[in-house]
Parts: sequence; structure tokens; C-alpha cells
Amino acid sequence: MRPANRRAFLSQASLGFGSFALDAMLRQEACAGLAPTGRPHNSPKAKKVIWLFMNGGVSHMESFDPKPMLNRYAGKTIAETPFAHVQDPDKLALERLVVPDANGNQRNKLFPLQVGFRKHGQSGLEISDWFPHLAKHADKLAVIRSLWTTDSNHGAQTQFHSGRHRNDGDFPTLGAWVNYGLGSLNENLPQFISLGKREYWNKRDGHYLGPAYDAVPLRVDPHKPLDFASPAMPVSETSRAIGRDLLRDLHVSHVARHPDDAAMEARVASYELAFRMQTSVPEVMDFAGESAATRARYGLEQKETADFGQQLLAARRLVERGVRFVQVQHGGGGAGAWDAHSGLQKNHSQNASKVDQPIAALLEDLEQCGLLEETLVVFASEFGRTPGSQNGDGRDHHIFGFSAWMAGGGLKGGVVHGATDEIGFHAVENRHYVTDIHATILHQLGLDSRALEIPGRKRLEIDHGHPITEIIA
Amino acid sequence: MALALLLWQGVVLGGGYEETLKPLFRERCYACHGALKQKGDLRLDTVAAMHAGQVINRQHPKESVLLQRTAAADPEERMPPPHEGEALDTAMLGLLEAWLVEGAPAPLDELPEAPPEAHWAYQPIVRPPLPEGSAASHPIDAFLEEQWRSQGLAPAGEASPETLIRRAFLDLIGLPPKESDWGAWLGEWSPQRYERLVDQLLDDPRHGERWARHWMDIWRYSDWWGLGEQRRNSQERLWHWRDWIVESLNADLPYDEMIRLMLAADELYPEDLSKLRATGFLARNFFLFNRTQWMDEVVEHVSKGFLGITMNCAKCHDHKYDPIDQRDYFRLRAFFEPYHVRQDLPPGETDLSQAGVPRVFDALLDEATYRFIRGEESQPDTSEVMVPGVPELLAFDDLAIEPVSLPTAAWQPVRRPWVLRAHERAARQALEENPDNRIRQLEWESVQARVVATRAAWKGDAIAERREAIVAERRLAVARAEEALRVAGEDADKQAKAREAVTEAKKALVKPVDDAESFTPFKGAQWVATRFLDSTKDDPALGFPSTSTGRRRALAAWITDARNPLTARVAVNHLWTRHFGKPLVRSVFDFGRKEPEPVQRKLIDWLAAELIARDWHMKPMHRLLMQSEAYRRASSSLGAEVALARDPDNALWWRREPIRLESQVVRDAVLALAGTLDNQMGGPSVPGAAQDDSHRRSLYFFHSNNDRNAFLTLFDEAAVKECYQREQSIVPQQALALSNSRLVEEALPAIVGQLGGGACSDDEFVSVAFLQLLGLAVSGDDRARSLAALQAWKGVGNSILDARAQLVWTLINHNDFVTLR
Repeated sequence: MRPANRRAFLSQASLGFGSFALDAMLRQEACAGLAPTGRPHNSPKAKKVIWLFMNGGVSHMESFDPKPMLNRYAGKTIAETPFAHVQDPDKLALERLVVPDANGNQRNKLFPLQVGFRKHGQSGLEISDWFPHLAKHADKLAVIRSLWTTDSNHGAQTQFHSGRHRNDGDFPTLGAWVNYGLGSLNENLPQFISLGKREYWNKRDGHYLGPAYDAVPLRVDPHKPLDFASPAMPVSETSRAIGRDLLRDLHVSHVARHPDDAAMEARVASYELAFRMQTSVPEVMDFAGESAATRARYGLEQKETADFGQQLLAARRLVERGVRFVQVQHGGGGAGAWDAHSGLQKNHSQNASKVDQPIAALLEDLEQCGLLEETLVVFASEFGRTPGSQNGDGRDHHIFGFSAWMAGGGLKGGVVHGATDEIGFHAVENRHYVTDIHATILHQLGLDSRALEIPGRKRLEIDHGHPITEIIA
Repeated sequence: MALALLLWQGVVLGGGYEETLKPLFRERCYACHGALKQKGDLRLDTVAAMHAGQVINRQHPKESVLLQRTAAADPEERMPPPHEGEALDTAMLGLLEAWLVEGAPAPLDELPEAPPEAHWAYQPIVRPPLPEGSAASHPIDAFLEEQWRSQGLAPAGEASPETLIRRAFLDLIGLPPKESDWGAWLGEWSPQRYERLVDQLLDDPRHGERWARHWMDIWRYSDWWGLGEQRRNSQERLWHWRDWIVESLNADLPYDEMIRLMLAADELYPEDLSKLRATGFLARNFFLFNRTQWMDEVVEHVSKGFLGITMNCAKCHDHKYDPIDQRDYFRLRAFFEPYHVRQDLPPGETDLSQAGVPRVFDALLDEATYRFIRGEESQPDTSEVMVPGVPELLAFDDLAIEPVSLPTAAWQPVRRPWVLRAHERAARQALEENPDNRIRQLEWESVQARVVATRAAWKGDAIAERREAIVAERRLAVARAEEALRVAGEDADKQAKAREAVTEAKKALVKPVDDAESFTPFKGAQWVATRFLDSTKDDPALGFPSTSTGRRRALAAWITDARNPLTARVAVNHLWTRHFGKPLVRSVFDFGRKEPEPVQRKLIDWLAAELIARDWHMKPMHRLLMQSEAYRRASSSLGAEVALARDPDNALWWRREPIRLESQVVRDAVLALAGTLDNQMGGPSVPGAAQDDSHRRSLYFFHSNNDRNAFLTLFDEAAVKECYQREQSIVPQQALALSNSRLVEEALPAIVGQLGGGACSDDEFVSVAFLQLLGLAVSGDDRARSLAALQAWKGVGNSILDARAQLVWTLINHNDFVTLR
């Protein structure tokens, strides 16, 4: 039996369904020194994560990293500006070839900023005018302006989650590691949940950790929140209860015939969780109990914000109930909604207006419930966009420098960390590969990624990343 | 072991050389300074060797080279070098220093690492003699018994006839026994009857379907996937390869021949389209955008799947554990460098885009393979062309790479007799269906003229025939333009355009035929275009050369040579894993030096020798494995408590290992029990949208990286990128699927109808339901509980499902429904 399977048994079996087989397994685990205990390795500052991922690639220059030089040199080729050095070939060597570049050459002609910026909050954090609601929470944000990655195509979506370029194969994603490393806070719900469309990149998360660590995709629909959530036919609950009771009895007598079948023990426990999920999951997705003020705050009554607002309200309800990792995708489908190769102004202003109010509502709501301190909120996309224009009024994919922000979960607020050069091309100060975001999150959760490693699945130093200590409170 | 693991986790406990430092050296240093290689003439696998290499300074331990180099800050100095391995961290360096200061104590009897050629899996396969004095009648049991005896274990007894019958059915045909099967086999049970049952199931065509799915896991079957409608990976109609696998297994085509055909049918049987389907194995690795990614997958999985070698570890640097250097990686790639994919027109078809059969051919006969520096595609070392070859340690003969001269029809596929015939027949049929249609008439004439011209061109210049074909096409063009004008409608613009088209066509008709002009040729095959150069347009088209390099044929000959130490061992391990629930050699795709000699070394060698001796036929191997007592044991540890205490992991096979049924078997079993399984074999994959309503066997469902059936996915569907062993996960969604899916709920009344004919008493019904759904003779207690529940359900009076359907629902949700005991 491989460790992943053992762990799968344990994670299910430990949901309040103790047994002697479980004890035996735990003993074996302890001897092997392998599987996590479900307890953090270090004292945690945060317990849960809400991961907001903008598919397609958000322009860092039009969101959290303003570059006035783009206006000053608008229309000039990079070679004509004092920043010609950004195109030194050795500085561009980060990029790893995946597919021939359909979009052609370097985007050489600088494209002016498509939106204004203002300073917000006491910190004076700069946020573009496309995010007016979020701007009110500027003092909660730790903006990282110096990320880089290596896949200049949308495979970077996978890379942002697993830390690996798609040419390397498939590896567990951050949510799977968190799910693997930490025990459950609620025995009625899965610990790793995915909301929103996830099309371009692999729908699996666990990979070598096993499918038990894949995100469970839920829909914001109390009638059908997940596949097979309720009977296909209207079977009476009384009948089902008789069946479940009989099943439990039959399993008890069968366990006596197979006294050391750990898989059977785990399966019985998983049936119990499944049964509880049939009630608990629709309950989370039913917003009837939420006040009109809350609904309005998330923008559920406006067409534009309703979709993402529902997902974020669901995310809040999930973490409130103890779910460890909620991954929310915005603009999934095709290459991603934010992929503004042309018409960037229209594209980004519309997308921003869909997510801005719900995200602000989430931060406010978490703070008011007292959940923000123990919940890390992350806002990211697979890469940024080029300083130069594409198709006249768009920007291309850009991997050499881009932004993300985090809030809550014991991080500093109102801080900017790292910097790109004057035109937003290269991350030049406090550079961070995407796994540094992972390392920061795991650090706050009290997990040591090296202690989670599976023998025979040697991880590289870059897979582990380094916590960004400067933004930790 | 435990301490090595702790080191992996970056946690260093105290401890001396043997407990901590040696495992650390093994992981970080031995690849270059051990048995595999001795860079700088230095070995670090014994302390004596370290002294000999003068890396330990007895007088000034802190100045030892060993410490200085591992602690060096300068990356040029540091060991292991940055591209070779991770640096030692502070804690590790502290331990190393303390040990050196202590005088580098070491055990007296320290032995150096064994040379790589001594590794067990690289040894020739020699049939080991059967253990002497064994009471076991079956060789498998004799080998296992030897180990039980030495450990003082007593194995579990034979499983009940009910369990064995269900086990044999599910294992060999992937479906549970039907009512009539139970009647036929359970009545007069005996060892001879068991053997007859196995024989009968091996002859059942559904055996091919069941075992094809196993091999499809290993060989990475996948229907095409991409983005939207763009076919980026694998091939359309790859199901032709799937059908070839099913048919080959049913015909008991030898395993070695299957490998030869999958790798090189186009060189071995260039005119046999049925056999060419086998090369779907290679066509599956097609990747639209990048040749290196495509080649990487071929190299990795040919090595892992057939040979149990992790060649992929040697792409960027020499292998850290096995005697494979980076050149070997690219030399293996060189066998495949020339091949591309094309789609061939099968008999009776005229449209390649709808009916083409994917297969491979050598397109780039002179394409050079270069080693990539550090594995970077952008840094080929063009100073040396990599020639096809195999790792030196595994070479037992010179590779005979002889170019293959192909028969004409293989590279001019339009000459295949059925191609022109099919076009003629199609045009004639179209005309016969609508004899007064002028366009059909002209189409028929044009096809005839083109056929004549095509045939004439094979013999000579055929200028007159060519002219006739061109004119016939022009006449057809005029008629089509006129028809378009007729249906152009009211729109003035459209009318004007259509009128113009007619004028143009008529003008073309009277023009003299140009010498350079040609008629529309017929196609017998079509190269599958790649986009390596620009992702928005196809690369320049590749033609079909008249020769093939013979490289893949030579590689296949080497892999399937009886002297190859790996192929047969890897194959029997695959077979064993699927019959017995877990492998004899733990890492099924890595038989390299990281995999220690297996506990059952003699058994696996004996089985490998047996496979070769039986000319690589697999049916006799299935029979052999299933005839053993080991296969027939009970899975329960009741009565075998001593064995359980001494060997809780069943490492010595003292009992049967229960298997969580594969996703496909779970679904197929529900339909089979309901009597609604559609037994149609082969053909195009059932698309996702049609799957909910389909009752075909699950192996025929469209299955790719992007498209997987929701029900099957929950039960660990095979990952198309790599699935050498199925996961056997246990997650709550499985319970939801078995409880609530339409598949199960619709099957319930049908299953009730199948069980006992519906006319039996409740008591009989309970017996027959336990037997057929779970393979269990129901116990007295379980019977009483079930009867009580039936009464309770009757009291509820649910009109949707009656009481018996509710009982069936309960048993489908029973652990043993999804378990192969």
C-alpha cells in the first residue's frame, strides 16, 4: 500500500470513526515516519485559505503596480527609451519553450496606462481606479510586485498552483498539500473545495498524493451543489434510513469476518461522511439565512457581480464552517477571461467590475465575523501583461514581473513588497518565484513543506520556495 | 530507513556515520563518487575510500576536503555542484564536522557499493530450480511456501466456491457471473471444475475487453484532446488501436509480437492495415506544438512500460542511480526521431477526415538528434549527432539497423486497391440514388475520369487521360456554379456573386488545359499536420518516403529478445499485479538500482522464464497464475492470526489481497446485473454527451485528459498521462455516486427482475441477492436483518422503489460490491 493510500484511509477513517484497524495503521505510520498527523508542525497564525485566481492574466500595471513611465514613453519602442536593457537576452532566458509563440514577437511599443491610480488608506497604497471597492481595504493588503514565472503560455495557470512548468509533468497543487498536511476542522465537509469554472488546466490537484486530495468541485446551487449530491429519483428519506441502518449492520458483521481490512473500515467511514455531506453541502449553498444587507454587500442583486459574489459568499460560509482551502476561479473557460490581447481597457474594466465589489465584501465580512485573522485571502493570476502593446490596444502575456496580493491570516496590511523596473518589465527588487507565495501560506498555516515530502518523490528547492518574511506581521 | 527518511524531511537527529551520514552521502554523492561513477577518481562509499581519496584530513579534521567542498559558498567549488544536487544544510554540515573531529569512525567491515552490473534486474533471466522437498504441487506455491516455512507462517485456506467464482469472472472478463453462471458452476464444485471455468473465461471474447483496459492503462490509451476543437494531443479515431488490443488479446497474440507491432508494424508489415493499427501506441504521443515534449513522452514511457527503466531521469544529466548516461537518453530518442503520424483510408471509405486510421511512418529519414545541454531544448549540442543505441550495460548484441524498403502501396497509398474502388462505388451509388440529378451524373463522370487518369499515370505520361479528368472537373464546376445560382435566392448581392461564379467557371471550361495543371488527386493517406514552427498555421507538409529507417524495428527486436533481462520480468510483474492486487516488484515501472532485490526474486525470475518458454503467450500465463493455491486463498486473516502478526503487510502472500474494483468494472457490473449491458464490441468511442444514456462497456467511453466520465472518475479512472497502477482511493463522493446516480437507481428494478426471476420468496431473494451482488453465502444474522428491513420497507410503501429494490440498493453500497475479494 502506498503512503498516499494510507493517508487516504486515515483522512477518512479519522472522521470520528475510530477502530482497531485505524490504530494499527497509525502505529505503522508512526514507525515509517511518513504521513502527516493532521497537526501543524509549527504554531499556526492562520487556519484557512481563500484563494482567488483570475484566469487569463491580470495586467499588473493596471491593477497594483502603476508605471507612469509608460505614459511618458507611450508609443516609443523599448529600444528608444532609457530602458532598452530590459531586453538583454540573458534577462529573457527565464522563459521556457512550450509552444511556438502564436502571438509573435516581443511587444516593443510601450502602451500607456489605461486607467488612473490613486493612493488609498493610511498606508497610501496605490490601486487602480478599476478597483474602487477594494481600495477601501487598502490597509489590509500586502501587495507583492515582484513575482516571476517561466511559462509564457497559460500553462502558467498550473504552474502558479503546483510550482512546476507544464513540461515537467503534473504535481500536487498548493491546496492539495494543505489538505494533505492538515486535519479536518469539520467532519461534515470536504477540506479542499473548488468554486468556479476550471477548464484550461488540469482538474486534478492531488496527483502523486492521490485523488483523495483533489479539490471537490462545488456549485453555488443548493439543489445540485455537487455531482450525485441527492438521489436521482425521489426516494423517501424513511426508506433510505432503513437502508443505511441495514448497511451499517451488514458492515459490522462483515468486519468481523475480515478483522484487519483497513480499506473496509475507511470505506465505511467515508459512507458516513457522504451521508453527512448530503445535508451539509446544500446547507452551505443555501443563502436564505443571509441578511439583505449581506446579499447587497456581495452584489448578489446586480447582474454584473452576482456570479462572483455568490461564490465569495459561499467561500465565506465554507471557511466559517471549517473548510481549510477554498479555491475560487474567476473567468475560467478558454484561456481565461482576463486574457486581453486586444481591447485591454474594455476587458479589464469589465472584469474588474465583476470581482471588485465581491472581493471587498469578502474582506469586510471576514473582518466583521472575526475570521480575517485566521483566514488568508490571496488574489493572483498566472502572469502579468506586457508593457508594450499588442494589436494596438491590448497587452500580451508577461512572465518577468507581475503582482499578487494577500490579506489577513497574520500578514501585514497596507504594505508593498518588491518592485519591477520603471516600465514594469522585470521584477528587480525582492524577486519571488510563485512558490514563495505557497511557502508564505504554508508558513502561516504552521506547515513545513519538507516534512510533508513523500519518499521517492524528491522535491526541488524551488518547489518548496521561501516564505516572504517581510510581509508577515 | 527511518533515519534516511528523517533526513529527507530536513530534520536531522543525532547519530553516527552509519545512521545518518552514510545515507546522506548515498543520496547526494554516490551518483558521481560511488559504484556508478568515480569522478576525479574519488569514491565516497566507504570511509576507507575517502581516506584513499585523501578527502579526510586526520591531523586537521576541519580542513578535510570533504567538509571544505560540501560547505563551500562558491558555487564553482561546492559539492554537490548546483546542477547535480542540493547542498548540505547547516545541520548536516555540523554533523559531518563533528564526525570528522571524532576521527571519522567507521565500521570495520564496511563494504563498497556493489557495481551496477550486479543489480538483480540486470542479470540474465535464468529459471531457478524449484525448492527441494516442497509439498506444494504448483511451482508458484513452492516458491512462496519456502518463505512461509522460514518465517514460521501458516497461510490462509482456500476461498469459498462463491468467492472463487466471482473472483474468476471479475478478474478475467470484468463482469460478475449471471444467474445461469452461478447455477452452472456452483452446483458441483471441484478443482477440475475451477480449471474448466478459467479455461472457459479465457476463451470468452469479453476477456479481451477486460484485459485490454489493463494494458490501455500501462500503454497510456487516450482519445484526442486539445483546446476547443483543436486536436492538440493524441489522435482522432485512436480507438482503432484499442480494438487491435482487444482483438490481439482474444487471439492470444504473444506479448513480444504485440510490442513489435506497436513499435514498428509499419516496418514489419507495411501493407497490413489491420496490424498498422497497433502503432496507435506511438501515434498517441502526438503533440501539435512541440516535438521535444512529444519525444520525451515516447522515450519515458517506452522505457517505463516495457523495460522498467526511468530513462526520463537522464534527460538533463546522467542518471543518479542507474548506469544510464545523458547520451543514452538521446540515443533512445534517435530511434523515434524520424517518425510522424498519418491517417490511412480503410477499405470502403472515401473521406479521410471522417474515417482515417491513425498510424505512424518514418517521415524524416535524415533528421539529426542532438543532446540538449542540461536538457534544455534551446541548447542542443550540435557538435555530435546522437545515433540510435541502447545503454551499454543492457546491450547483448550489435543492433541491426537496416533501412526498410517499403512496398509501393505503403508510400503511395492511393495505389491500395480499395481506395479508387471506394470512390467509384460512392459516386455510382450517389447517382443510382438520384439518377436524374445532373450534378451527380457529372460527379460520377469526373470520378471515373480521375480514376482512369490516376491509373494511367502509374504507367506513364497519360497526357490525354489527365486532360480528360481536368475537363470533367471543369464541367462539374460549371454545373455546381449554376446550381448555386439557382438557389441563390432574392438577395441581389448573392445573385450577382453567383452569376459571376458561373461566368468564371464557363470561362475556365473553354480554356486550353495547361501542362502544369492537374486534376484533384485521390488520397489514400494524409499526414497529420504539426505546428512546431508557428502555432497559428500548419508546418510545411511532409511526404511519405519509399524507405523507413528500420530503427524502430531494431529497437523492438532488442526489447523483445529473450536475452533482454528486463522485458519479461516487467511483463510478468504487470500480470501478477492485476491478478493478485499488488506487485511482486514494488515499483512497477522502475526496476533500476533504487528497487532492491524483491523478496520473491526467484518467483519473478521463474515466471519470466516461463513467459519466454511459452513463446510469450499470455493466456497460458493467466491460467498458470490462477491455478496456484496462492491465487485461490481467502482474503480474511481469520484463522491465520500468526501470519497476520508476523507479516501484517502480507509481504509473503499468505493470503489473498482484496482489490478495489476499477472504475470500469464498477459501472459495467451494475449494468450486467441489470441485464442491460450492451455487448457490442469495438468501434468509435462513445462521446461524453451520449454516455449517460449508453449501456456500452466503459472501455468504449471517450476518455482523454480533458474528458472523463463523472461516475468513472470518482473511482480512480486511469490518468491518461501515466497509470502503471490504478489508485484505489476511498472518498465520500464514491458513496454518493453509488447511492444517488441515475446509473444505479435505474438499474435497481431491473436487477430485482434478474434475481431469482422475481417470483421467489423473500427468503430466497435475500440468498440470491447476496450471492449475485456480493459473492457471499448469506449468514443467518445477515439474513434475519435483511428480512426485517424488507418488512420495514414494505411498511413505508414507497412507490418509486419497492422493498426488494431497496435491498439491492443497500447491497450495491456494501463494501464488497466494489471489492474483488
